[in-house]
Amino acid sequence: MRTALVLLLVLAGGAVIGSLLPQIPNSPQRVGQYLDDHGFWGPLFFRAGFFDVYGSWWFVLITTLLFVSLAACLLPRTRALARAARQRPVQARELDGFRHHARITVGAAPDAVASGTERLLRRRRYRVARDGAGVAGEKGVLREAGSLLFHWAFFLLLVGVIVGKGTGFTGRAVVTEGDTWIDAVPNYQGELRTGRYFDGGHTGIGVRLIDFQDSYRRNGQPIDFVSRVTLLDADGAPVRSAAIRVNHPASFDGLRIFQEGFGWAPVVTAAIEGDRLWSSPIQMVRDDAPEGVPATAMPWRGAIKLTAPEPDVMITLELWPDFRALANLQLTGRPTPMLVEFDPYVRYSVYTGRILDPARSTIAPVGLQLIGRGQIHAAGASSFSVPEVGQLRLTFPELRHYSVLLVSRDVGVPVVLAAAILVLVGLLPALFVSRRKVWVRAERAPGGSTVEIGGFALQRRDAFEEEFERIVRAVETSTGAVVARPPEHVRTP
Amino acid sequence: MIAASDAWASTSSRAFDLTIWLYLGAMVLSFAYLAARNERLWIAARVVAIAGAIANLVAIVARGVAAGRVPWGNMFEYSTVLAFLVVAGALILVEGVGKVKTLTGFALMFAVLTLAIAALFFPVPPGPLQPALNSYWIKIHVVAAITGSSLFAIGGIATILFLFKDRSERRTLAGVRERPPVMGGAIDVDAPHDLLPDPEDPGVAAAPRRGILPPAAILDRIAYRTIAFAFPIWTFAVIAGAIWAQDAWGRYWGWDPKETWSFVTWTIFAGYLHARSTAGWKGRRAAWIAIAGFVSLLITYYAVNLWIVGLHSYKLG
Repeated sequence: MRTALVLLLVLAGGAVIGSLLPQIPNSPQRVGQYLDDHGFWGPLFFRAGFFDVYGSWWFVLITTLLFVSLAACLLPRTRALARAARQRPVQARELDGFRHHARITVGAAPDAVASGTERLLRRRRYRVARDGAGVAGEKGVLREAGSLLFHWAFFLLLVGVIVGKGTGFTGRAVVTEGDTWIDAVPNYQGELRTGRYFDGGHTGIGVRLIDFQDSYRRNGQPIDFVSRVTLLDADGAPVRSAAIRVNHPASFDGLRIFQEGFGWAPVVTAAIEGDRLWSSPIQMVRDDAPEGVPATAMPWRGAIKLTAPEPDVMITLELWPDFRALANLQLTGRPTPMLVEFDPYVRYSVYTGRILDPARSTIAPVGLQLIGRGQIHAAGASSFSVPEVGQLRLTFPELRHYSVLLVSRDVGVPVVLAAAILVLVGLLPALFVSRRKVWVRAERAPGGSTVEIGGFALQRRDAFEEEFERIVRAVETSTGAVVARPPEHVRTP
Repeated sequence: MIAASDAWASTSSRAFDLTIWLYLGAMVLSFAYLAARNERLWIAARVVAIAGAIANLVAIVARGVAAGRVPWGNMFEYSTVLAFLVVAGALILVEGVGKVKTLTGFALMFAVLTLAIAALFFPVPPGPLQPALNSYWIKIHVVAAITGSSLFAIGGIATILFLFKDRSERRTLAGVRERPPVMGGAIDVDAPHDLLPDPEDPGVAAAPRRGILPPAAILDRIAYRTIAFAFPIWTFAVIAGAIWAQDAWGRYWGWDPKETWSFVTWTIFAGYLHARSTAGWKGRRAAWIAIAGFVSLLITYYAVNLWIVGLHSYKLG
């Protein structure tokens, strides 16, 4: 037990390290920052696995050792309990040696006393064994049984975690209003975290985002974020609709879909000399807010990259979903939260040159030459003459939301839940049931019998003191005590 | 509607201020009782403490009405409830059931500190919950967490007192045997140990005077019982939190700092419960484990919410 306990505390110590240092799975950029800032300790910690504690070899090793040690403790205890459960309580010889002891005289014969006592103890839910005029009773096996259940349940928990995480995955789906996202590997944005034993079988189900709504109070505090979606089966046929909101995920075909984030995706079209080269929604990211400025006051950024013309044309866009916020900023210098869509406004810059990174997600115009700037209100259009390329015409027909949904599969969740319930179910008797033993032996005496009663409790001894006295009194009353000699109690501290 | 909620908010904040003063008064009276052993002081201390607990309850309920939701949605509110439960637990469990009067003054001190820290560092006017907190699990998970915390806190207080008392008992026993008679007079060996002062004991300045505390064995038992009571509640709080996290964040366990530290706290108190039944670890060693658990609990609450970046940074609700 001591080994398991020490391992558990070491595990807790490791977990503390993980909570104090940035972790690669949660915040890789902060890990990079830490490595930059701590020239000596950074690489050392890195090699020790301190930036991915919960996935490090030593964390897994300690956990394994912990469970091995736990099993080594539990197996003999379980066997002993099974043996004890089969055995009848054993008679005791010297009853006056126990912590609690009483001797009374009653009117009934020894046999009658014994059978009366047997009944009485059974009614108190003792396990009872009788040998002639001697009765042995014990109670509280549930304590050990509960303790074993509590500890074994952690093995079930481990199985649930390993199977669930091992065969499951977690990824992010980013879907714009009106679009449909399909569960397939290339459609996940960012890292798709798969378990070691994930069979790679994505379901092919679809999630069509009908609309996304965010609502706020007047002070800018969010009330709710809701994605209304239609769920489609692998053939693309709609199955049902669902509202996915924070705390209310949707379950579909073994997947759970959670509301995680949202953003703006303006539909901007770009045409050069009348050729429409771009007409899709652009999923934008919001600028980081400086200290003291609400995040909702910041504009959103995205880019259009056109590689068809010669030279390439890149248009960076800055979206203000509420034009009043920009106007207010320019007039008063105060940032204003943008909680509703109101006269959306896009400022853009046009660059030409050679686009090195055609990915949509990079919006920095690296190595390009700025040609000029312009702006468009919603439903408006703006024209711009790009040297060597021709007339660029931008329109801004509509502003849509996009929703970030977390998609995960974890078949272990019910197992883990069951294990957690068993942990609790076992814990309560393990802590609060006490083991008690009582022996009663009657001997023939003039006019009846002399009854000796002895007993002890391994836990909650002061509570047992009262129980013991009640048992003594019950034996007296059920067998008709004739002598009013008060029970003498012998207690050894 | 807004006027009504403002009125409730101001009731709550006035009751909050009153609570601090009443707890402070009850604490002073409790300590005065411990020093003077005057039953009238004890009665006065209890009347003021109960009045404080009522004011505390009013502050909690009025805040809930003002905000139109459960009154434990941010740190300020959590602290208010925690202070109430610690005082109520000390009055009902330790004084009522356990028949030990000594602890209440220290529990009141803890409550005053909790409320003062809340008022100084994170006061927030009543308002609605952020969407992530808007779930019925806030009733289950947070109630279990506060209840478990308050019991652990009482256990922690009892353990600190146990360590002081245990040391003084040991020193007194050693002193009676070793110290020569002072100033020509003989030490009355039959006098209760508590009455023998030891000016060299640095604990005397920090701890209350000798004889104020009940025997170490009783303090130890109070500590064990409250911690054993708190442990399943805390276990349940962690499990309920995991169930909630599964719905809110898409996973039941993600080693978020709050999850990590509540696990650490759980582990340490599990270690304490095991140590209690292990030969050679009873008494002071087990007590130090409980102290470590108490410190971990404070980190789980204060440090994780305020300084460690994570999903549980609910300083402002």
